[in-house]
Amino acid sequence: MTFTAGIDVGSTYTKAAILGDDARIAGRAMLKTGFKLADAARRAYDAALAGAGIREADVAYLIATGYGRHQVTFADVYVTDLTAAARGATLLYPGTRTILDVGGQTMKATRVDALSKVRSFRLNDKCAAGTGAFLEKTARYMGYGTEEIGPLAAMSKTPATISGVCAVFAESEVINHLSQGTSPSDIMQGAIESLVDRSIQLMRRVQLEPEYTLVGGILRFESMGRLLSARLGAAVNLPAPDLVQFVGALGAARLGRQRAAQMKRAGTLA
Amino acid sequence: MSTLGDLTPVAPSNVPLDAALAALRDVLEDVDYPTVRRWRAGGGRVVGHFQVYFPEEIAHAAGLLPLKIHGAPIEPRQAEARFGSYLCSIVKTSLELALSGHVELDLFVTHPICDAARNLAAVWGRNVAYPCEILYLPQNANSAQAVDYLRHEYDRLRRLIEQIAGRAVTDDDLRASIGVFNENRRLLRELYAIRRDRPWLLAADEAWVLMAIGGAIPREEHNALLGALLPQIEERPARPQDRLRVVFEGGFCEQPPLDLLRTIAQSCYVVDDDLLIGLRWITADVSAKGDPLRDLAHAYLEHSAYSPVQHDLRKPKERMLLERIRSSGAGAAIVTAAKMCEPGLEEQVAYSRALDDAGVPYFVSEFEENMTSFEHLQIQLETFVENVLFA
Repeated sequence: MTFTAGIDVGSTYTKAAILGDDARIAGRAMLKTGFKLADAARRAYDAALAGAGIREADVAYLIATGYGRHQVTFADVYVTDLTAAARGATLLYPGTRTILDVGGQTMKATRVDALSKVRSFRLNDKCAAGTGAFLEKTARYMGYGTEEIGPLAAMSKTPATISGVCAVFAESEVINHLSQGTSPSDIMQGAIESLVDRSIQLMRRVQLEPEYTLVGGILRFESMGRLLSARLGAAVNLPAPDLVQFVGALGAARLGRQRAAQMKRAGTLA
Repeated sequence: MSTLGDLTPVAPSNVPLDAALAALRDVLEDVDYPTVRRWRAGGGRVVGHFQVYFPEEIAHAAGLLPLKIHGAPIEPRQAEARFGSYLCSIVKTSLELALSGHVELDLFVTHPICDAARNLAAVWGRNVAYPCEILYLPQNANSAQAVDYLRHEYDRLRRLIEQIAGRAVTDDDLRASIGVFNENRRLLRELYAIRRDRPWLLAADEAWVLMAIGGAIPREEHNALLGALLPQIEERPARPQDRLRVVFEGGFCEQPPLDLLRTIAQSCYVVDDDLLIGLRWITADVSAKGDPLRDLAHAYLEHSAYSPVQHDLRKPKERMLLERIRSSGAGAAIVTAAKMCEPGLEEQVAYSRALDDAGVPYFVSEFEENMTSFEHLQIQLETFVENVLFA
């Protein structure tokens, strides 16, 4: 069997996925990226290999993607997050035309064609406004951890109005709301709604068209997907919570299958 | 303070490659030109020569240090008052080096590769005490008189240099220098062969550093340096990747910042280029047996590379680019030009058409030597690479 692999070195988490001949996931692993990107990539890859029960030599082609992709010196090639997410999204949902990817430090909207090729994309600005960092900081200012964001927002009854998505200015706005007696759950849900508004703006800038597929770590918060669907007025594809962060790695592994097949035909695959 | 003196020529083989590359890069980015200061401190004299080609052998034969002037990472505050805003950066930053006193020369030579460069000697000369000259390389390389003409021009240069050196430059001196430069050309061909055959061993920015330093140190030192470092490159424990092999075109005069080359090297193997092409202009050994000035003139015309500023009907630039792509086994081209560079930008039209006709994918961009942001370029380039690799 020919295996290919993708490693997505994100700013917060590093994900590795291995695909078999049948394009099924043979193994995957995710861990915190930390500050040693190459080390995180190596460990995630080793864990995915162990999960698949194969050796590194069994992998015909490895692609690295994500913010820290260039640190993965053992990869065969690097691809951008945009291309990897596009191929991953269409692997899971072949009818995908617009992808929203909200990660720890970036937000990206991408429109693809029927062949999964990127036709248009927009990224958030250089700062972390409108990304996972904004939600994390909002939660932290109120004494909650990242994993508590989802349950906390789910308890909201009257979401607060959060005027911006700046991770720095969020602190003063959160303090202001708390001092006025607003509950943490309403503030958290308000922050998510603010993020959703910004996401829709970004999607509009790529001339969004259905089907919509949502990926990235922030989409594991259930209310994000629900709210986006409501604002779009359409159903959205949302991978299972345990898969939503692997879309980039899966896309990279899928591209690896394509490239390995090309090279096999050309007789250049080692 | 840079430490080039620790690297050459005494025991270069003892310096690890990565440390040597870092030190050389520091030297090249030091606008106070430590190698020139070292040379002058020893009583040596310096000929600064502007891009693209200069027969360095003639300066070398006189015992002078030929210094390649190819712009600098410097804010051209004084030079901005001498040149219009519509001109390229390299003429301004080069002039700024002189106006600000960063580099002290004994002679400056330019040649009329474009209007800006043609005027550079006059503007430079009005602001410094040493002579500034124009070397007129043949406009018509195809004329039967071109070699005679160029030999005459080289002889004029020799007499000028003799005045600076305070001594005669004999034919034997010239032949000895040709021998030194032949060895240098051989080593640079070896360097480029590594990039062509095993590009994972040496990134584009690293190769540029190894080549560019040759324009700032005595050529014997450069030969010793390359002789020591090339074997280390060969033994580098680097793993080949499935990167797109590209030719970089557009670096014949103004040089892109090293960080731009590094950005390209992150997603491509640059297997050939025209960066500092003047240092590799002559493509074969120059005879050291006959009339050395005639031999140099002959080599300039008959055994030479190409650039948008040399007009030779035997070397149509677009055909030469396709040949460069073919001979290096590249799968694509990066066609760039410095901002405001008329010769470079004009050639992009012919290049694009030839590449389209030949079905070679290419990426077009502009650069400026002092640009500092590469994020957009990186994402555009990576998208280009993905489109080629995953077509």
